[in-house]
Amino acid sequence: MSVTDTTPPVAATAGKPLPKPVSPSRQVWQMFRQNHSAMIGLFILFAIIVISIIGPSLYTVSPRDMVWMPLTPPGQSEYLLGTDYLGRDLLAGLINGGRVTITIGFSAAVLTILIGVTIGALAGFFGGRIDNVLMRVTEFFQVLPNLLFAMVVVMLFSPSLINIAIAIGIVSWTSTARLTRAEFLKIREMDYVKAERSIGAGNARLIWKVILPNAAPPLIVVAALSIGSAILFEAGLSFLGLSDPNAMSWGRMIGDNRPYILDSSWGVTFPGIAIFLTVLAISLVGDGLNDAINPKLRQR
Amino acid sequence: MLTGLLRKLANAVLLLFAVLVLNFALIHIAPGDPVEALVGEMGGATPELIAELRESFGLDQPLYVQIGHYLGRVLQGDLGYSTYYDQPVTHLIAERIGPTLLLVTVALLWAIVIGTILGVFSAQRRNSWISHLVTVLSLAGFSAPVFWIGIMLILLLSVAYPILPISGMTSTETATSTIGYILDVAHHLVLPALTLGLIYLAFYSRLSRTSMLEVLETDYVRTARAKGLPKRLVIYKHALRNAVLPVVTFAGLQFGQVISGAVLVETVFAWPGLGTLAFESILRRDTPTLLGILFFSALMVVVMNLLTDVIYRRIDPRIKAT
Amino acid sequence: MTSSSPLLSVRDLEISFRTGGREIPVVRDLSFDLSAGETLGIVGESGCGKSITALSLIGLVPSPPGRVSKGQILLNGEDIVTAGEDRLTRIRGNEISMVFQEPMTSLNPVYTVGEQIAETARAHFGSSRAEAWDRAIEMLKLVGIPSPEQRAHNYPHQLSGGMRQRVMIAIALVCEPKVLIADEPTTALDVTVQAQIFDLFRELQRKIKAAIILITHDIGVVAQMCDRVMVMYAGRKIEEGPVRSFIRDPRHPYTRGLISCIPKLSRDPSDTPEPLFEIPGVVPSPADLAELKGCAFAPRCNRAINECQLHSPALTPLGSDRAVACLRQEEIPA
Repeated sequence: MSVTDTTPPVAATAGKPLPKPVSPSRQVWQMFRQNHSAMIGLFILFAIIVISIIGPSLYTVSPRDMVWMPLTPPGQSEYLLGTDYLGRDLLAGLINGGRVTITIGFSAAVLTILIGVTIGALAGFFGGRIDNVLMRVTEFFQVLPNLLFAMVVVMLFSPSLINIAIAIGIVSWTSTARLTRAEFLKIREMDYVKAERSIGAGNARLIWKVILPNAAPPLIVVAALSIGSAILFEAGLSFLGLSDPNAMSWGRMIGDNRPYILDSSWGVTFPGIAIFLTVLAISLVGDGLNDAINPKLRQR
Repeated sequence: MLTGLLRKLANAVLLLFAVLVLNFALIHIAPGDPVEALVGEMGGATPELIAELRESFGLDQPLYVQIGHYLGRVLQGDLGYSTYYDQPVTHLIAERIGPTLLLVTVALLWAIVIGTILGVFSAQRRNSWISHLVTVLSLAGFSAPVFWIGIMLILLLSVAYPILPISGMTSTETATSTIGYILDVAHHLVLPALTLGLIYLAFYSRLSRTSMLEVLETDYVRTARAKGLPKRLVIYKHALRNAVLPVVTFAGLQFGQVISGAVLVETVFAWPGLGTLAFESILRRDTPTLLGILFFSALMVVVMNLLTDVIYRRIDPRIKAT
Repeated sequence: MTSSSPLLSVRDLEISFRTGGREIPVVRDLSFDLSAGETLGIVGESGCGKSITALSLIGLVPSPPGRVSKGQILLNGEDIVTAGEDRLTRIRGNEISMVFQEPMTSLNPVYTVGEQIAETARAHFGSSRAEAWDRAIEMLKLVGIPSPEQRAHNYPHQLSGGMRQRVMIAIALVCEPKVLIADEPTTALDVTVQAQIFDLFRELQRKIKAAIILITHDIGVVAQMCDRVMVMYAGRKIEEGPVRSFIRDPRHPYTRGLISCIPKLSRDPSDTPEPLFEIPGVVPSPADLAELKGCAFAPRCNRAINECQLHSPALTPLGSDRAVACLRQEEIPA
């Protein structure tokens, strides 16, 4: 029973000029725009990114210097959100930490997607022995508890920003690889791929120009969500003390202030809210993208 | 069925072997070898002493000999020696494994049970408050750092309304009886288990809702209704049994991440488990201990995966046949 | 047959679905009767409302978004539309049962087929586990499954499609219902298996004496199986009558079209086969129908005149046992 089928019968449209085709990305955007929570998420995310980029030059208090009495509660000094246990300005910490957190989040996500898509695409496209070997590798990385493994890597290779991003990328790519592989396995058998192959398209062309663009929609959603996971991951690492000693990040602020929660709850509360809001915004955008790309799953 | 399990077992052994090779490689790729670190701690040494130390660590031998020795030691149950704690790593792990297993099991159990119940209820009533709660929970659970949730819960339930202890597994006053001891541990367990479970509650409520919604649309549920079974049987016998299949799969697959979560939660609550040990060994730069924990956690994940496989074969008859 | 009061009587049934804020009827003004022991065929293209009508007879219209928005469904005089869920639970599988189109997915993969038959007996008769299990094995034997004692312990995936459909039939008949609805029961099966299943239906009907509603789009099946036929188009009944007159002398242009769609075999191999007839166009969607004033078939009808676009034809009796809804039926040559 196609009761929800609203497409007019063929007979009704025949003869009339066809409506101008709407590009898929435009269609997704139109669906996305109607999704209120996704638009709110996009707005929050945009605001956080803008603050992180231009904030430090507008609000010039140093996040590393003692500026006031330690453990001053919010609203009791010129430093709006109060100070931490070393008398450092929390607001300055938040504004500067955002930059580090978001940069690591994005670059780790890029790395995650890069590794995941490459491995998944090769496994799914070639199948057979290559698939077998690559899936074993994937399984291997799934068995390693990701945070512990990242902790080992960062500890052994010094906690610089780059190393942290690389460590997060190395431990997070497995689910992306599995998804990419599944998509490739599915699309590989489609008629248009076979058609391309029959007219002599090479493997590189098939992978890049034919299959990947068609596998992209679900991967875009995963990419968006993996930024959120990477940010949480970075926060976890720096909370454990594995952060770049020269950079302030939100997770590190929580870790630094944790021993003092009995005297200053604000020291851990504000950076936590910052992380929460950022990841929440990314999740909302990701869910919105998912709904827009995949309208059928909407009710789920 | 047996051959399937045997193959899985062989695969598991292979995976663990690979973890060991990785462990070994990490020590060697990492800048600075153990001797340099040791020498650094001693505040310098003569070249003769360094050479002697290298020999005693077996570092003067070719790599394949070293890796052979390493594997041989692990097979004898020797995961290395913690320079900081001055104890074999296996002792340390054995001491800490109990609390971690307790925490992880309790957290996962309550999250899966409550999460499944929430998901199943919300799947039946799409616009009810439970359904909205599941949506909010799953968003919040995915977005908030678990260690921060822990700290916020401490501020709420140990500081503002001091009904639960802030940290540790037991109170300093020694309990007089076994029951007293159990109650004391349970009292300390509430907050960490609540925190760790919340993340998974978010996940499982969403997973079981999606799964239940899918199952409710299937033909066999329609058949169950069409043959006049009461609603109770349709939902809890026919739909639920199928809807929990993915929950079981994920519970096994996610175990590695649960251990990772436990590292953060244990650190927040000073819960004396493997996670706190991992955190401490970072502070002390105690590489053998950290690598030992990594290997042991991988071992637990592999065992959990095998266990999940066995359980899955029991509840899904389709697997048994193949 | 017409003298006694019917077993099942559908009166002015309307089923609607809510989409995009509007409630759109997908079945309209549907009335028909079913007598005890009779086999009624319901014929039509996919999307004409056959399956949803069948589901409404056991109170299983997916709701939301659907509901029975008008009319009555009387089983021995009791209205199913207004019956409570408890009462419906007792009717389903007990007085009216249904066999679905998809044997591969209609059985629960995690329970044995024996259990799936037995639980139905337990639910309706309150039988003990042992009794219900014996009954399940008896049913498996009845539907022609070899070594039923062993098969009862099998899971659905261990059975072939035909076997599974036999199990579905066993489930449907375990309580000896008065009405059996079979919604395209053989569409998913091989042709040889199809024939076996229909033989089984006939045999069981003799034994159990159930009335059957057979939903299909296969005219051949109708000719073999049914006493009476009802043709549906776009949610309405457009023709009804005994199966013989239906095949020999279809009155509605749509019915004629359906019958001409059957390929004709010629005995003489030198004959060039006639080109296969095809009804142009597709069934209009319910949303379009809501705006249509005239006959729903008019856009596809080669005999449509202007008047056909203006109002929808009422169902007119034709002799004692037939009815058709077409303005031009009298002009159409027999």
